[in-house]
Amino acid sequence: MPLPATTYERVVYKNPSEHHYMKVYLDFQDHGVEVNVAQFKQLLVSALKDLFGEVGAALPVDVLTFEEKTLSAILRVPSSGMAKLWSSLTLLGSYKGKKCAFRVIQVSPFLLALSGNSRELLLD
Amino acid sequence: MVRFKHRYLLCELVSDDPRCRLSLDDRVLSVLVRDTVARVHGTFGAAASSIGFAVRYLNAYTGIVLLRCRKEFYQLVWSALPFITYLETKGHRYPCFFNTLHVGGTIRTCQKFLIQYNRRQLLILLQNCTDEGEREAIQKSVTRSCVLEEESGEELSDSGEEATEAME
Repeated sequence: MPLPATTYERVVYKNPSEHHYMKVYLDFQDHGVEVNVAQFKQLLVSALKDLFGEVGAALPVDVLTFEEKTLSAILRVPSSGMAKLWSSLTLLGSYKGKKCAFRVIQVSPFLLALSGNSRELLLD
Repeated sequence: MVRFKHRYLLCELVSDDPRCRLSLDDRVLSVLVRDTVARVHGTFGAAASSIGFAVRYLNAYTGIVLLRCRKEFYQLVWSALPFITYLETKGHRYPCFFNTLHVGGTIRTCQKFLIQYNRRQLLILLQNCTDEGEREAIQKSVTRSCVLEEESGEELSDSGEEATEAME
């Protein structure tokens, strides 16, 4: 008697995450510059607008967290717009006449990966 | 084969004001398109699209324009064309818009499309025509275009322009 044919289903996930998460901080040349969350978001959008125009400024970038003391933030961007965001952050030179630079600490397609960074690990 | 590939965008300038088409100049148009691409796609778009950019053909009577751009960046130019809303020359501002008729890889394919498009436009003009004298002129150009095959290219575009000029 022939054995019944077994059916199986194979599911392949190729990078299911549609967003990329970036941990960045804004480094100023002078100290004591205050930036709040809304100004930070406006700075991001204006950087995108300079390099990529109206279409770039319409990229849906989200600021998930923001710390005023260290000026560090976690950003979320759709994976297709990741190159545009990173290149416009790189080319941003100044904010209100003061020189500044965006330092990118970590990038990952998964938000959980940003919680533990082995580079900042202190070994005793 | 290693060569630079281009895309040719065949567009038509549509406007209410008849003076708008006559004030078309290739330098004015190229500056306008470049500024619009810079506004819509930023510094990157302006630089990328202006490498191989040129206005290849311009017809002030029918408002047909042929733009050339590199194959890698033609979509930047194409997507910026709907954002052109007015033409500004000599202090006058004319509202207008660009209709993209055809995208081709060579000037020859665009010319072939333009010939067929003009033939169809002549028939449409014949239907909407009111004056008897104009009707006869259009009928004459239509029969001429049907009889001749190869030479009808240049003659047809000329007769099409004369008919439209007479209409306006």
